[in-house]
Amino acid sequence: MNHTLPRRVPAGARLTVAASAAVILLAGCASFSPDGGMGAVSELTRERTGQRVSLQRSPDQADTVSARVAELLKAPLTADGAVELALLNNRGLQASFSQLGVAEADLVQAGRMRNPVFSFGRLAAAGVVEIERAIMFDVLSLVTMPMARKAQQRQFEQSQFQAAYEAVGVASDTRRAYFNAVASQELVRYFQQVKDAADASSELARRMLAAGNFNKLAQMREQSFQADATAGLARAQQQALADRERLTRLLGLSGDQLCFTLPERLPDLPEAPTEPKDAEQTALDKRLDVLMAKRGTEATAKSLGLTRATRFVNALHVGYQNKSETDSPRANGYELELELPLFDFGSVRSRRAEAAYMQAVHRTAEVALNARSEVRESYGAYRTAYELARHYRDEVVPLRKRISEENLLRYNGMLIGVFELLADSREQVRSVTEYVQALRDFWVAETNLQTALTGRSPAASAASSMTPATGAEAPAGH
Amino acid sequence: MSQRRDFFRTAGALALGATAVSRVGAASLPEAVYQTSPTMQPPLVPPNGRPYNPVATLNGWSLPWRMNNGVKEFHLVAEPVVREMAPGMKAKLWGYNGSSPGPTIEAVEGDRVRIFVTNKLPEHTAVHWHGVLLPNGMDGVGGLTQPQIAPGKTFVYEFTLLRPGTHMYHPHADEMTQMAMGMMGMFIIHPKDVRQMRVDRDFVFLLAAYDIEPGAATPKTAEMTDFNLWTWNSRVFPGIDPLVCRTGDRVRVRVGNLTMTNHPIHMHGPHFVVTGTDGGWVPPSARWPEVTTDVAVGQMRAFEFDAIAGDWAIHCHKSHHTMNAMGHDVPNMIGVDHKGVAERIAKLVPDYMVMGDKGMAEMGSMEMPLPDNTLPMMTGTGPFGPLEMGGMFSVVKVRDDVARGSYKDPGWFKHPQGSVAYEYTGEVPAPTRADAPKPDAKTLDVRKPTGGHEGHH
Repeated sequence: MNHTLPRRVPAGARLTVAASAAVILLAGCASFSPDGGMGAVSELTRERTGQRVSLQRSPDQADTVSARVAELLKAPLTADGAVELALLNNRGLQASFSQLGVAEADLVQAGRMRNPVFSFGRLAAAGVVEIERAIMFDVLSLVTMPMARKAQQRQFEQSQFQAAYEAVGVASDTRRAYFNAVASQELVRYFQQVKDAADASSELARRMLAAGNFNKLAQMREQSFQADATAGLARAQQQALADRERLTRLLGLSGDQLCFTLPERLPDLPEAPTEPKDAEQTALDKRLDVLMAKRGTEATAKSLGLTRATRFVNALHVGYQNKSETDSPRANGYELELELPLFDFGSVRSRRAEAAYMQAVHRTAEVALNARSEVRESYGAYRTAYELARHYRDEVVPLRKRISEENLLRYNGMLIGVFELLADSREQVRSVTEYVQALRDFWVAETNLQTALTGRSPAASAASSMTPATGAEAPAGH
Repeated sequence: MSQRRDFFRTAGALALGATAVSRVGAASLPEAVYQTSPTMQPPLVPPNGRPYNPVATLNGWSLPWRMNNGVKEFHLVAEPVVREMAPGMKAKLWGYNGSSPGPTIEAVEGDRVRIFVTNKLPEHTAVHWHGVLLPNGMDGVGGLTQPQIAPGKTFVYEFTLLRPGTHMYHPHADEMTQMAMGMMGMFIIHPKDVRQMRVDRDFVFLLAAYDIEPGAATPKTAEMTDFNLWTWNSRVFPGIDPLVCRTGDRVRVRVGNLTMTNHPIHMHGPHFVVTGTDGGWVPPSARWPEVTTDVAVGQMRAFEFDAIAGDWAIHCHKSHHTMNAMGHDVPNMIGVDHKGVAERIAKLVPDYMVMGDKGMAEMGSMEMPLPDNTLPMMTGTGPFGPLEMGGMFSVVKVRDDVARGSYKDPGWFKHPQGSVAYEYTGEVPAPTRADAPKPDAKTLDVRKPTGGHEGHH
């Protein structure tokens, strides 16, 4: 990949001097960056997720990563740990980082002069051989090279945004998957408790039947609670498995790593909900899809200008030519080729570029509009989820607990029987599961809000990568 | 006939006059005496008027009066009250003059009484003098014989007491609510001759049933049959005063029933004779010797006995009436093996304890936390252990050394040597007996009719 630029052009061509000077001038910038553009991606990602990203190219890097992965997997995963792990280890993300290399190659390519064209002709007739040699340079591309380079630079930056966008997507998906996995694992425990209560009821009812104190109907009623609770537990276990596997995929884990542990409980509800200031403005300033759309529009605007500038000229080739003929002295000269805009004044290209520009403008407006709406929506969802979780924590669960305490008092006074006590205990556990679900919904809503504020549309999952809203052409190419 | 008409006219005029009086000012009203203590007040020895032997109202009192030109004036105030049903539980009831039941009204045959009734309830009321023969317009049936007494109003009832006996008073306006809320009282008319039907001790109480949710305080007035508190004078055991007597006393017990079911009142120890019914005194030749007398709904009974030393239980013989609030849907756990299950339940319900697998007697001794304002279903402790009683239960405590006129609880009876049942400590040989029937599949299965009626006996 270590390209060396041609430092020499065929001597004797007067024009080539200027050309080579220009090439040398440009050659200074047209090289590959040491980090392949990942530094900016990492910074963009860090600002939005708190975690850096890197592209793993060398075995050394891979070793560092696997060491860090192993370290993270030692203790029960935290939400941040899971995000870090996914950003390090998610292979899909690494694949999309590699796309950045492709974009950089295009950028470097744009900074280099097109290869000269060499032509050779040999004519032989009646013992006379005529040989024509010519070397042609695409001069127009040399003139447009700075613009093309700028365009490619923007394209490259778009790719960096895109890479960061993917990273933010993976981070937000991971957080969601993490909270789901922790919650459903926690729920399994509570469904187990519900089942324990139903088991005890059913067993006691069986003994009541055996002692002649219950009829079959009463016994079967308790048994049916147990049957339902068993089904509920099985569903909860399957859900926990599915949620854990989804997380596993995002974390890119396999083999021994599958034994990773999750904490027993979801993080507590924060003291107070966050109140982001100028939420909509933040989204417009920070969101990667908005930034990409804006850049895309700028790029189309530039390319529109370029198209306008070059609308009359499609190609300008300058070249050195010589001809040798048998028994004749060698003839030297030059050749100039210019396409005459006789039939195509470039208006088609120009209209196309204009349309692409307007398309980009509207797309950007749409993205910005959606971003603001999504921020409002996800903030609403976040506040609702917070209030709900707090309601369950402060009202529903303690209330059910107090109800259970009252029921125990009533049981003590033989005002109710043990089956009512057990039914109540099932209800109490159910209120706790509802709290866990509400808490999980809060953390998911919190992730969605953060994503909507600084990253991307929270609705889009990592799998669906968003197409950048740019129709930018590479004007230097034919 | 004309005499009767005159009588009615006079009565109406008096009622009108009384209304006029009440408009003039409170000064003309006799003082309304209040008493909120749930313990028995000393019998009210008549300070004026005709002499009589006063009654002892269990956990209650008698209403003082004012003599006004030869007329005994009483003042009843119908109002919400708080009644302690037994230590640990207070009920929000409606009553009279601070208590439910209201004070016992005592007067003498031939007395003219003027009873002022002030309504401090949120709804209208009326007072019916149950069993008292009086002018129709004084009978207190709202809408039929008088306008209802609106909230804040005072009505006057005035009549002459024609016949001695045991009577009651209670509302006859929205009575379903008002009686379920505890509005009732005893009305005793003593014989003109103090020697007639004379006894040494004369106890009175009213039977009432309430349905108060455990943990609540106000009765559910819509209840018709499923009551959970069976009371004597709105008290339940162990909150009911003992009937303290002196050995050899002639004792009368008067019971009025304002519940919706009958109550076989059973007394241990001395046999008694029923001496009074709703119609008055029973001629000696017609008196029934009994140990249980059934007091039907809306009835009054008086029975008498000669006291014999001891602690004699007296109670309603419907066993669920000698219980306090209890669950009526609680499954019977007797004989159910809890091994293994109890531990599992305790894991889910901390503080859970197995109860009822050996019967419910442990309820009498266990002291476990209950809902607020709730009494254990059976309680009370005697000298030999838990009494396992609640509701309509008390003890006739007869002692040799009780002072005349004293109703002070003398404590537990001291049994003479060798007069208490004792444990046999000798050998108990296995009795030879036929095999007892064992439960089989059919005991657990519903028996279905198989064609005819062969299975029926």
